Amino acid sequence: MDGRPLFLEPRLEPRLRSLVAATGTLHSLIDALGSPLHMVVPDQIAENLERFRSVYRAHHLSGQVFYAHKANRSSALLRRLAATDAGVDVASLGELQHALGAGFSADRIIATGPKNPEFLWLAARAGVTVGVDGVAELDQLGALVRKHALAPVRVLLRLSGFETSGVRVLSRRSRFGTPVRELEALLEAVERHGDAVEATGAAFHLDTTSVAEKATALEGCLAALEACRSRGLRPRAVDVGGGFGVSYLAEREQWEAYTTALTDAVLGRRPPLAWGGHGYGLRNESGTLRGALGLYPAHRPVAGAAYLDELLAQPAASLGGRPLAGLLLEHLYDLHTEPGRALLDQCGLTLAKVLEVREQENGTENGGELLVRLAAKADDIALEDHGVLMDPVVVPRSGAGPGEGPVAVHLFGSLCLETDLITRRTVFLPRRPVPGDLLAFANTAGYAMDFHATRAQHQPAARKVAAWQDGDGWRWCLDDQFWPITPSGGAQ
Amino acid sequence: MRYDSITEAIGNTPLVRLDPAVHGLRNIDLFAKLEMLNPWGSVKDRAAWSMAGPLLSEAVEHGSQVVELSSGNTAKALAVVAGMHGLGFKSVTNRMRVPEIKDLLLLLGAEIEELPGQSECLDPTATDDPLTLFHRTLSASGSAYLHTDQYFNPRNTEAHLTGTGPEIVKDLDGRVPDWFVACVGTAGSSTGVARALREEDPSVRVVGLVAAKSDFIPGIRTIDEVQEVGLFDPETYDTMESVSADEAIEGMLTLNRRCGILGGPTGGAAYFGAVRHLRALDEELNERRTAVFIVCDRVESYLSYVRQRRPDLLGRPARKNTLADLTEAEVSGAPSVTVADARRWIDSDRPLVVDLRSPFAYAALHIDGSVNIVDELFAELLRGGLPFSRSRPVLLACPVGEQSARYAALLTRMGHAEVRSLTGGIIAWRDAGAPLVRD
Repeated sequence: MDGRPLFLEPRLEPRLRSLVAATGTLHSLIDALGSPLHMVVPDQIAENLERFRSVYRAHHLSGQVFYAHKANRSSALLRRLAATDAGVDVASLGELQHALGAGFSADRIIATGPKNPEFLWLAARAGVTVGVDGVAELDQLGALVRKHALAPVRVLLRLSGFETSGVRVLSRRSRFGTPVRELEALLEAVERHGDAVEATGAAFHLDTTSVAEKATALEGCLAALEACRSRGLRPRAVDVGGGFGVSYLAEREQWEAYTTALTDAVLGRRPPLAWGGHGYGLRNESGTLRGALGLYPAHRPVAGAAYLDELLAQPAASLGGRPLAGLLLEHLYDLHTEPGRALLDQCGLTLAKVLEVREQENGTENGGELLVRLAAKADDIALEDHGVLMDPVVVPRSGAGPGEGPVAVHLFGSLCLETDLITRRTVFLPRRPVPGDLLAFANTAGYAMDFHATRAQHQPAARKVAAWQDGDGWRWCLDDQFWPITPSGGAQ
Repeated sequence: MRYDSITEAIGNTPLVRLDPAVHGLRNIDLFAKLEMLNPWGSVKDRAAWSMAGPLLSEAVEHGSQVVELSSGNTAKALAVVAGMHGLGFKSVTNRMRVPEIKDLLLLLGAEIEELPGQSECLDPTATDDPLTLFHRTLSASGSAYLHTDQYFNPRNTEAHLTGTGPEIVKDLDGRVPDWFVACVGTAGSSTGVARALREEDPSVRVVGLVAAKSDFIPGIRTIDEVQEVGLFDPETYDTMESVSADEAIEGMLTLNRRCGILGGPTGGAAYFGAVRHLRALDEELNERRTAVFIVCDRVESYLSYVRQRRPDLLGRPARKNTLADLTEAEVSGAPSVTVADARRWIDSDRPLVVDLRSPFAYAALHIDGSVNIVDELFAELLRGGLPFSRSRPVLLACPVGEQSARYAALLTRMGHAEVRSLTGGIIAWRDAGAPLVRD
């Protein structure tokens, strides 16, 4: 395998595949709006929502799918969702204002995360459900409701530190939520503020890919709700958060070959695969591999709605071994989910123009790889920040490019900083790019688009457009101009 | 054969020649080394005893807990060894995917900790992975733990260098086999045996087997995972080949059904890998040769593993009075009653209300006066016949009215004329504002 290109081709569903193929449209957009440029595809998010809804239906569960707004600040995506039956999970005052302005009514919004007083007031004033972290936040909310004579606020109690009997499932410590060990004190606070808050359920959000950990937490929530009921409260819902994942790559084999090659490279059995011999968390300790691969599992057999389905099928050991979905249903509880990244799967891409293609003066050191400089900063295409390894797609300036074979390149950004690497690894492209070509980074809508963007060095942050299919072609408008009634073709 | 301690029964396992009619090799005698016949059921008994044995008296003095990163057989053997000496045992793992093994370990008094899964949102500032933290905790705590460290402990390899390897040579009347085939987990048995054999005759060829990368075979690591093992040295093996889970199960079935050897999937993988590797070589031969592979453990612990991957192997004949017998037409024609009608019916005819949900959900909220027969139990009851009189009307309720419709259809078929399913279930009942009680 030495020397052969290690491709990591992105998984492209029909809508994104068609957009990447619309070469003329993409180039004219860059000419008009500059590089880099983010594109979102609002219709895809409605399709993704439907996939989650079908899992709900299969288990006969009711409840809400809340889009985690923080994953992308796009108005177009939010407004498209407002036209469906989805909810939105907001984590700041600005996001709450954005959601209300996009057409979400209060009963479709949930406010979570760390909150400042203004955020909490507007949430309470508007009547959205508040996910509370602990007793202090309940006290704060209770005082706010009384002082400003507001109607009682619905709250979901965010819990953490779930425990199991038998096999102990270790979980990373979280700075959010109330440990279940302190549930009694939390419920006492709920009762104390009975005039100001109404506890409608329990919630958790664990940062883990492990289904077992989430199943333990869901089981813990069922037990917590039983404790609520025994106190005469009337809870109705369990919110299992998100973290259902996205499968970024098209081919499992490519991902397996790449990670094996990375192991070999770290152990010195093949040339380095990344700038400066970076090992993505792996290291060589006297011939044995140590550390852990700090990469997003970019090819996943089970992700998104299928992950939720798998979670719901897990048996609850402390409740007779029945599947969690069945228990939720039997207890008449609604299921709330908050997928961010998974709801944005295939919802967008980022374009960057090639400015310079340079051969290394000292070609021996890195195997003659080309240095490719893009009109973009690393924080405009934050795939690397999230450990997602995925090849960009070359969108040639003028039809098909030169007919030569694959090349190894390093992708650099436009900042005057050694660290401004679009990706640390050596990227293999099917042919040598030339200045003026575009590189399309697929599937950046979830966290990799504007989550990290800055205006450092007075370089522009990427602009954003919304695009939709109109017959065989693609139409677009600025993200801010998109509404679900935006005319298509000659319709209006 | 009389022993003073069960630990004396470790080792000296049989080497059994397999019937050529089964494996089809004409010139190669294929032998299975039955490590499954060690007292606790696996090849790991040797390593566990070799690693823990010399440290036990000190551990007893300090009351240390024995700890190991193990998902199965090593943990099992260590749990027994620890228990025999009045010590606790803790297994830390993220790979224990076979429920029977978990249960057996708990039965043996082990404590099990599962490592957290990978972070969904990558944290570039995270200090260390869970395994590194585990090692740090161990070394920081002084003598509170007896860590056997099977992936790095040379006494793991040594158990096979002085035991398993020489036993094979002895049972082959002093000859070294031409091929030795072993699955690679901790690499202890393959490394130890290979070294012992090579010391006698360097011409032995060693085949290491790993799991295909996307597959899970209990006890075997993938080609990447073996790199994390301190005892693993690629020089040990003349060739490394991979085996899929399906192939492991195929091999296991042949051992179980044709050879009378009740080995587990790891042994099955070794058998499959051995025959696959040797087949072409066998055709070129004109003289007799020998090959040995290891059967690591027993099949009994892997029934759920098999059920998940090959449910067809555990198929059973259909039973009477089951939901599976119903046609779609029968289900859609099942007698049902709306919430409003059900409430009137309850008031007028007092039907027996059977709530099919789990006892936990029933205890939380239910229709006043109903009885709770959880659906699995109800299914069992029906196999024996109707559990109540035909003269007593029955209202069946489940969460949304789907399950109850199926049972109503089945009871109708069994001859009950007055059975109804609650349309929309308990959820419709609640949504209609009908009373639910906790008593």
